Amino acid sequence: MPLFAVLAVGADRPGIVAAVTGALAEAGANLDDTSMTILHGHFAIAMVVAGPDGLDVAAALAPVAEKLDLTVDVRPIPDGTPPAPPGDRWTLAVYGADRPGLVAAVTSVVADAGGNVVDLTTRVVGGPERPVYAMQLELALPDSVDGRGLGDRLRAVAADLGVDCTLTPADADVL
Amino acid sequence: MGEITAAVRRLCDDLVETMRASPACVGLAAPQVGVGLRAFCVDVTGHRKARSCHGTVVLVDPEVVAAGPAVAGREGCMSVPDLTGDVVRASELVIRGRTPEGDERVLQVDGFEARAFQHELDHLDGLLFLDRVTGGRLFPRKVYR
Repeated sequence: MPLFAVLAVGADRPGIVAAVTGALAEAGANLDDTSMTILHGHFAIAMVVAGPDGLDVAAALAPVAEKLDLTVDVRPIPDGTPPAPPGDRWTLAVYGADRPGLVAAVTSVVADAGGNVVDLTTRVVGGPERPVYAMQLELALPDSVDGRGLGDRLRAVAADLGVDCTLTPADADVL
Repeated sequence: MGEITAAVRRLCDDLVETMRASPACVGLAAPQVGVGLRAFCVDVTGHRKARSCHGTVVLVDPEVVAAGPAVAGREGCMSVPDLTGDVVRASELVIRGRTPEGDERVLQVDGFEARAFQHELDHLDGLLFLDRVTGGRLFPRKVYR
């Protein structure tokens, strides 16, 4: 079945998920991986949707998008199951006074080392007077990347930026 | 469960044998092998994260007597092959149950062994780690066994 990457965003209100996924189910589509959350009062949907053949995803979502004032983007993606990013999983947490460029500074250290960001959530907390930026990242570090060394480099960059940073292994206990 | 019959003892032997047949397996509960009885085995011997270690433990009708402070940790399950997630568990535990021979046994466990016991206890109540994942985040497991 053909696969599509579908993005949708709009002011949050009750019923967005039910309406969007309902329209897709009615069109015969099947949901694959999805990630949905509220970002600053807007509900953001990112998902992979499978077929059926000949499905026009944008057309299937058009009535719902109109009704709920959602911006929707649909693009076909290759089918098949891509391999998970190689390497051990690590969790990176960064907290501190908000300033432009924090995410770029931290993630460029990860990228330069050959690490892969596989999940990232950031939140601004603490109110407009003293905004605090909180980042939580999941990294995949290939065997070629020394986690401890990367942690040292990240802490050095974090110190320059005046934020706190912790890199810890996130290997799962399989029970 | 009431009386520990020969069938229950056979089930306990099967659980241990099945656990040992899979090198990475540190615990197995009866519902995971399709048996709706309250029995499980745990063995964290040699696991690099283990602090307390009681060797091979088989408990029937286990229950938690006391639980210490909670700690989050990434967890996966042999019965859910592709996913992991962060689960909050008690870092210390006193657990009571009966051995397959019918003797009462009380164990004080901590760290990885405590996590393993709580994971297996959940299986007896029909709960998977998926029911307890914090933050709603699931991650793909690195190694597909």
